[in-house]
Amino acid sequence: MFGLGLLGAWILAAAVAAVPAHGGYSLRTALVRLADFARLDFGASSISGLRAAAVVGERLPATLELLTAGAIVAFVVGIPLGVLLGRGLRAAAPLIQVVAAAPVFCAGLGLLWLSAHALRWTYAPAPLPWPSLAEGGRAALLALGALALPGLTVGAAGAAAVQLAVRRAESGAIEEPYRHGLRLLGLGSFEIDRLYLAPQILAGMLARFGEIVLTLFSAAAVAEWLFGWPGAAVLFLKSVALHDWNVTALVLLAFAVISLVADFCGVLAARALGGVP
Amino acid sequence: MMALPPLRQSAAPSLRMTIRSIGIAGLGLMAVVVSLTDVIARVPAGTDHVGPPLTPPSALFQFGTDLFGRDIASETLHALAVTVDTASLAMLVTILAGGFAGFVAARLPWGLGFLLRWIVGVLTALPPLFLAILCIGLSNRGLAPLYAGLAASPLAFVRAFDRARALGTSPHADYARATGVSAMTLLRRDLTYELREGILAVAARALAAVTIILSTVSFFGFGSAPPNRDLGLMIASARETYIGAWWTAAFPIVALALLILFARLAAGLEEGERP
Repeated sequence: MFGLGLLGAWILAAAVAAVPAHGGYSLRTALVRLADFARLDFGASSISGLRAAAVVGERLPATLELLTAGAIVAFVVGIPLGVLLGRGLRAAAPLIQVVAAAPVFCAGLGLLWLSAHALRWTYAPAPLPWPSLAEGGRAALLALGALALPGLTVGAAGAAAVQLAVRRAESGAIEEPYRHGLRLLGLGSFEIDRLYLAPQILAGMLARFGEIVLTLFSAAAVAEWLFGWPGAAVLFLKSVALHDWNVTALVLLAFAVISLVADFCGVLAARALGGVP
Repeated sequence: MMALPPLRQSAAPSLRMTIRSIGIAGLGLMAVVVSLTDVIARVPAGTDHVGPPLTPPSALFQFGTDLFGRDIASETLHALAVTVDTASLAMLVTILAGGFAGFVAARLPWGLGFLLRWIVGVLTALPPLFLAILCIGLSNRGLAPLYAGLAASPLAFVRAFDRARALGTSPHADYARATGVSAMTLLRRDLTYELREGILAVAARALAAVTIILSTVSFFGFGSAPPNRDLGLMIASARETYIGAWWTAAFPIVALALLILFARLAAGLEEGERP
C-alpha cells in the first residue's frame, strides 16, 4: 500500500504540473509531464523561471524546522493531556472540545494578541538570511524568537491531534479482556497499565502518526501565512494563487511523500510494539 | 467468520445524550439566528460609516465598529449566515462523496471499488485544506463550498469503504447471500442501518470539518469575496487592526468557534472515544 500510495502521489503531482496557464487540459501533456516526473525533471517556476526543485528545496527546510518544533510541543503536551483526559479526568474530556473548536488561525491570532499585550512583545519574523539555532549566540536567540509563536501555533494544533490519538488508542485498549485476567493472576492495576496498557496506547498513537502529520502540515500553512515564516506551505498558497503549477505540484508531492513515509513508519513502529494487527 | 467490532464503544448514554442535546440545541439556536439575520442585524451587509471607525463596544454599538465604521454586530451576523449557508452545502457534499460513496464503492464489482479506494486513499495523504485550495485555484472561488466538501470527503470515503467491506463479510451478510438475498438488497439494508444509526453524528462531524476548511480557505483569500463575507474573511480583514482593537476579530472568532463547537458536540464524543 505504501508503494501504491507513493505512485498515486507521483501521478497526482504530474497531473497538477500538466495544468496549462491558459487553455484546456491535454492528456498528452499530462503523459509528457508524468514521464518528466519519472526522470525527476520537475520543470521550472513560471513566476521566477528558476527550477521548481530549487525553489521548493530552498523553502522546505524552514517548514521541516517548523514541523519539528511543532511536533515536539505536540507530543510533550498532547501525550500527558490525552492520558489525563482518558484516565483521570474523563468527565473533563468533552470540555477539550471547547478549546479545540477554534480553528488554527484563530489560535495563531490569539497568540499574537497575547504576546503583544501580555508580554509587550511585537512578533517580527527573523531577518534573512534565516538564522540557525546551530550558530549559537545572538543568531540562536533570533532564531528562537522567530520560531516561538509559529512553533507554538503548530504545536497547539498538533497537541489536539495527539491527545485525540492517545484517547482513541486508550479507548480501544482499555476494553481488552487481558486486563481482567492479569488482575485475577494477582498483578496490580499500575503494573498492568505500565507493562501492558502503556505500550498498547503508544502503539495505537503511532498507528495514527500519519493523521498527526497531516494536522501539523495544515497548521504549518496557517502559521507560515500568519507569521511570515518563509516555508514551503506558504509557497504552496502563493503558487496556487499565481497559477505556478510546477511549484504547486512539487510542494504537493513533497508533502504527500513526507505524510506517507510518516504513516508507514508509524504503522511499522506500532507493529513492532505489538499494538496493531 | 469474523466478529464485527461495534460501531462505537459502549457509552454512558446519559452523558452522550446530554452532550449531543447541547450541541443540537446550539445548532438549532444558530439556525434561528441565521434565518432572522435580516431582522436582527441593524444594517445590511457591508454598510460603511454606520459609526465612527474603530469604536469599542458600547451601548450604541454592542460589538463596536471596524476600520470602515461598519457595525461589527451586524457584520458578524451576516458573515455567520454566509458561513452556515456554505458549510451546509459543503456538508452535504461530504456526506454524499465521502460516507455514501465509500459505502457503495465497497460493493462495486470487478475490483472497481478497490481502484476507487486506492485513488481516494492517495488523496488522504494530503491535508484537506491543501486539496480544497488546489481545487479552488484550478477553477474558481465561487465553487469553494463544493471543493471544501470534496476535500473533507476522502477520509470519510475510506472509513465507510472499510466498514462496508467488513459488513460484507459479516455473518449476517453470509446468511443473507446463502438465502438468496441479492447484493443490491443487502447494500440497501446495510445503508439503511448505517443511516439510521449514525447519520446525525456523521453530518455534525462533517459540518465541523467543512466549517474549519471553508473559514481557513477564506482567511487565506481563496474563499468568499465581499460583499458576501464569511467569518473567515471577516477575521482576515481584522488582522491589521485587532492588536489595538480586539473587538474587530474577537466577535467573529467567538461566532465561528461556537458553530464548530456545537457541531462537534452534536456529533457526540469523537469516534472511538469513551464517555
